[in-house]
Amino acid sequence: MEQTIEYAHATGVLGSVWLLIAIPLVSSAVILLLGRRSAKFAHWLGTAAIGAGFVLTLIYFFSLRDQPNRAVERNLWEFISVGNLKVDIGLLFDPLSAVFCLLITGVGFLIHLYAVGYMAHDERRHTFFGYFNLFAAAMLLLVLGNNYVMLYLGWEGVGLASYLLISFWYTRPSAATAGKKAFLMNRVGDAGLVIAIFTMFAYLGSTNYADVFNGVGGLSSTVVLLMGLLLLLGATGKSGQFPLQAWLPDAMEGPTPVSALIHAATMVTAGVYLIARSNAIFSANEVLQTVVVSVGALTLLIGCIIGAAKDDIKRVLAWSTVSQIGYMFLGVGLGGGAYALAIIHLLAHGFFKANMFLGAGSVMHGMKDQVDIRRFGGLWKLMPWTFGTFTAGWLAIVGFPGFSGFFTKEPIIVAAFEREGWTAWLYGWAALLGAGLTAFYMTRLWVLTFLGPKRWTEDIEHPHESPPIMVGPLVLLAIGSAIAGGLMASPVAKWLEPPLPHEAGHPEPVMSHGVITTLSLVLTFAGIGLAYLLFRRGTALVEQPAGVVVTAARRNLYADAFNEIVFEKPGIFLTRALVFLDNRGIDGAVNGLAAAVGGGSGRLRRLQTGFVRSYAMSMMAGALVVVAAFVAVQMGWLS
Amino acid sequence: MTNIALAATVTTGEAVTFWILAPLALLGAIGMVVARNAVHSALWLVLTMLCLGVFYVVQAGPFIGMVQIIVYTGAIMMLFLFVLMLVGRDASDSLIETLRGQRVAAVLVGLGFAGLVGTLVARAVGDTTAVGLEAANQNGNVQGIAALLFTNYVFAFEATSALLITAAVGAMVLAHIHKPKSERLGQPETMRLRFRPGNYPAPKPGPGVYATSDSVATPGRLPDGTLTQRSVPEILPTRELSPRETAPKGTEK
Amino acid sequence: MTIKFPDIDYAAIAPLLIMFGVAALGVLVEAFVPKRARHLTQLVLALAGLVAALVVLVTQAETRVVTAGGAIAVDGPALFLQGSIIVLAIMAVLLIGERSLEKGGPFVAQAAITVGSEDDRRQAARADGATEVYPLATFAIFGMMLFVSANDLLTMFIALEVLSLPLYLMCALARRRRLVSQEAALKYFMLGAYASAFFLFGVALVYGFTASVQAAPGRMAGGVDFATIHAAATQSPANRALLFGGLAMIAIGLLFKAAAAPFHVWTPDVYQGAPTAVTGFMAACTKVAAFGALLRVLYVAFDGARWDFTPVLGAIAILTMLVGAVLSVTQTDLKRLLAYSSIANAGYLLVGVLAGVREGISSTMFYLVAYGFTVIAAFAVVTLVRDADGEATHLSRWAGLGRRSPVFAGVFTFILLAFAGIPLTSGFISKFAVFGAALDGGQTWLVIAGVITSMVLAFPYLRVVVMMWLSEPGESTPTIAVPGALTAAALVIGVAATLVLGVAPAPLLNLSDTAGQFIR
Repeated sequence: MEQTIEYAHATGVLGSVWLLIAIPLVSSAVILLLGRRSAKFAHWLGTAAIGAGFVLTLIYFFSLRDQPNRAVERNLWEFISVGNLKVDIGLLFDPLSAVFCLLITGVGFLIHLYAVGYMAHDERRHTFFGYFNLFAAAMLLLVLGNNYVMLYLGWEGVGLASYLLISFWYTRPSAATAGKKAFLMNRVGDAGLVIAIFTMFAYLGSTNYADVFNGVGGLSSTVVLLMGLLLLLGATGKSGQFPLQAWLPDAMEGPTPVSALIHAATMVTAGVYLIARSNAIFSANEVLQTVVVSVGALTLLIGCIIGAAKDDIKRVLAWSTVSQIGYMFLGVGLGGGAYALAIIHLLAHGFFKANMFLGAGSVMHGMKDQVDIRRFGGLWKLMPWTFGTFTAGWLAIVGFPGFSGFFTKEPIIVAAFEREGWTAWLYGWAALLGAGLTAFYMTRLWVLTFLGPKRWTEDIEHPHESPPIMVGPLVLLAIGSAIAGGLMASPVAKWLEPPLPHEAGHPEPVMSHGVITTLSLVLTFAGIGLAYLLFRRGTALVEQPAGVVVTAARRNLYADAFNEIVFEKPGIFLTRALVFLDNRGIDGAVNGLAAAVGGGSGRLRRLQTGFVRSYAMSMMAGALVVVAAFVAVQMGWLS
Repeated sequence: MTNIALAATVTTGEAVTFWILAPLALLGAIGMVVARNAVHSALWLVLTMLCLGVFYVVQAGPFIGMVQIIVYTGAIMMLFLFVLMLVGRDASDSLIETLRGQRVAAVLVGLGFAGLVGTLVARAVGDTTAVGLEAANQNGNVQGIAALLFTNYVFAFEATSALLITAAVGAMVLAHIHKPKSERLGQPETMRLRFRPGNYPAPKPGPGVYATSDSVATPGRLPDGTLTQRSVPEILPTRELSPRETAPKGTEK
Repeated sequence: MTIKFPDIDYAAIAPLLIMFGVAALGVLVEAFVPKRARHLTQLVLALAGLVAALVVLVTQAETRVVTAGGAIAVDGPALFLQGSIIVLAIMAVLLIGERSLEKGGPFVAQAAITVGSEDDRRQAARADGATEVYPLATFAIFGMMLFVSANDLLTMFIALEVLSLPLYLMCALARRRRLVSQEAALKYFMLGAYASAFFLFGVALVYGFTASVQAAPGRMAGGVDFATIHAAATQSPANRALLFGGLAMIAIGLLFKAAAAPFHVWTPDVYQGAPTAVTGFMAACTKVAAFGALLRVLYVAFDGARWDFTPVLGAIAILTMLVGAVLSVTQTDLKRLLAYSSIANAGYLLVGVLAGVREGISSTMFYLVAYGFTVIAAFAVVTLVRDADGEATHLSRWAGLGRRSPVFAGVFTFILLAFAGIPLTSGFISKFAVFGAALDGGQTWLVIAGVITSMVLAFPYLRVVVMMWLSEPGESTPTIAVPGALTAAALVIGVAATLVLGVAPAPLLNLSDTAGQFIR
């Protein structure tokens, strides 16, 4: 970076930017501490806290215009200052964090509102809202921090909240297992992030964004590559990207609002935020960028393929999330102006995916928690609002002209074609193919759920539309999904500079814009048409034998099996081998540390007899040794 | 060992006193530990303390020597003996060592520590000349100690009062049983209770003593030949006498 | 002969005098105030005295003086540690004064009544606890405050006794399980006396070493004040074996109070047997006092001998961490578990002490405060988990507590995480600070041992967490009593401090850093 990054000190209205984090945090603390006593008002308190956050964000957002560089920093206090290690607690409010705050509080507010209705019959609703607000606070901390340590705190906070919410219905074994899976896979990613932060300490002596980005230029390319790869590992863990994608679909065991807010709109995009925020690091190394692009392209295809084979409405949506975040990774990996494109897609995705998840929740609400799309059908008449809003989301995600996906996904595809040489063709076509596949499986989902003959289970007699408190947010989100992309596309991209790099006269794509757009539209409509033709009459009620590809897709492309073979089995084998060796009497040599500690502890414990005389003797013996050692050291007997 | 420190100026009298009393002091110390009887133990300790008192005096510390004899030996140890007598000199705990190897190890470690410190001090002060005794006793021994107590160590001296108060409070807390006034009975009330209808004013009969059983659980026999439960303490179950035991043994004649 | 009475800076030692006065007044209250009013009077008196002492202490914050004939040093560390002792003691007194958890409070009414007799059952059920604990506690606090500011070994010895004797007594006063409590007190007393003997022997040897050395012109030759010892360490013609033999034995006396291995043997038994409020008091305040004194002895008197004592004390530190960490793994009683954790923490504190740089002093002092807050809060929670027989401290009884009372289980989980040193708790910052200081001081070996043992030590803590949350509550799961105002206050202070010192430790770190300079 030629120019040094500096942020103005926050003054005036922006000085209170910490309120954004404090309000939901306090609300969460109040709800969780009061426990059952807060049951009467917890949901309104929680919703109000997020609503207040949204209003505040708007105020801050508009007062940002007058700031130099449109960025302000607010140093709250010094966290650690031990020796030469210094970490400050500080916040950074710039266009990038501002749009994230808007998304978190805006979409978050609607989802909170929806959850008031959705969770109405759950006796632990207050706890749910406590966790929900905790999540919002942590997520805001993540995007508002002005250094990587703060980001990490938020990162772990959202992880914790997500873990608690996935296993919210902890009495269901599958929910508990999914919670643990999410927790463990996230740990792998977090380890990467932690080591990246330590690397920053080691090489740059600071984790402040400004210091790090200014210092990147002076680092060797190996260090930058290492740092970037570690950050990427963290990002893939949180965002469900290859190779750590397996936890995200399982996380759908949580209540639907959780899936909408955390596992679609906000938390899972934290990886994208991390890379976009660290654009100075990622732009500094081309290998790094290629890795990010490859991860994105690969994941977007994986998500599409698996999504096309799943029959669980929430899982299809989850895999589509994986796939859409793949697009965003593709965008941030391409670098340059594509950073902004990825962020815009992220915002649009936040709207339409939240919309569709809530729509799915509404369907489940009316269908006695049925999630199997083979058991839906013909719902469009009975749930007109849900149908209408879901359709808006569907049109947005497939990129129907005029809807937001069209304005946000197309530029990423074009940008992929702007790479140099053969890689343009590779990534460009991957993105194009992804668009076609997306159209196919999303149409399949839409058709099977709302159109076609009724295939309900016997116990469902009369599905009903959801109450207004759930429909209201749906409508607002539907409007957002329909128009947000178009509105945001060009002004936001410009507005997101300087935090994101300036688009410096991008090269011509290998095909002309028109050709790419036409191709993409053709593929999309082909996908929609094919899916409609295949599924308009419904589908078989049970899983049918299928070819290799479909079976593989149903099995999550064998990712779980891969994990099992590559990590679990050798782990088990290793353990067994150790036990075997141990049993064979290599006594003590291969004992695990834990066993040694436990055994040692048991043996040492016997010294604690409880008799004063034996205590006194051990003290005397200790005294003998200590005095002897002192005298020995002094007289040089030891040296 | 202090004797060694003063080796340079030691007189014959001092040396003789030391060599007579030092073994005695040691003997007293060992005797205190080994004696089985608590009173003997205390007396052995008195012997050691007396010897130490003499040592202090010999080493130009008459005040501390006298305090040692008057306060420690005279007052505290005698108090100790009184307490032992009150508690009962026969009250003794089991002296059987239940921990395997404890005694051997304790003796070894103790000897080791004594050897180590002894060697250390001997080596350290063997070639040293003690200084400052004249200066310290310049205005008299008692005055010298007084000067220290009221200058450098005045705060420590005052702080010991906290120790004394704590000790007094502690003794009260651990040993004193407070009976509220309402529970205390005067002589008339006691008498009235004793001769209250339903109360048996005379001493209770002793336990039954028979040829076959003299347990306190066996009821005694009243002059009229009936058995009485009154002789059995309330907390014990009454022992049922078998017919063979209650039957006359042919000793009446 | 004329004796010139030494100048005494009464303002500087006013906090000490206030505590002493309050303790003496407390004894008078016992004598003259009617029994019914005693508890409240004593509680108010003790708290008011502590607050007054704290206020006076704050006004003296800039004082740096050696006073009372060189017996007392009022300097940065002394003031900081005295302040810490007062604040932690306020929390402990709050716990001691709690009477709503159990009728009559946690102390026995009359310790002389035979255990298990009819009278004993009656007093256990009904009688109000002995109020003598308040003067005893205040005497102990006075002793601790004197201990950290004593500037010669004799004053330090007296202070050691002044702080120990009341503690021995208080250990014996539990209302429940009185035999265990009395046994604990007796053990503590005997071993404490034993350790004091070592200390005194060490003082004698050091006195012999100082011989004719004058610390400053005009001062008396020889002596056990720290300036003289410091001067003697370089000037004395006597054999240095005396100095080191003496230092070794003085260290033994101090390490006993600090519960460092192998002089830790009393800790588990005493922590378990003593009334829980007293255990909290010992775990927090006695640790501050013992390490305060150790810092002063090592940094002021034996400063010049650092390279000689560091290896030995370092070995003790490692042994302490190992013993504490390894033995806590197999504990089944919560109070014993906390006792072993306190032993391990003594090891971490020693790491800070041995850093040998100024950060060593300040980080140790920070650690002491942070640990004190957390440990008192931990024992406060222990007092709340009860069944018909009083506190239920066996680990198995805590299984499933998370379901029964999520708030308290959550609070205790937070405390345990702080002990384990998880970021955002004071435990993390304090470990970080002492290890950082030790690295600065070049004691990498100690830091490695520290990190390894903290990993081992995390296991028993997490085991308790897992037991509380992931087990189903059984029939024998005790209830969690609603804390009275006093316990609640202590608990809130402790937990809040643990959180605040974990999130925003800078003010206290800065304070301890400014205070981290001894005067000689």
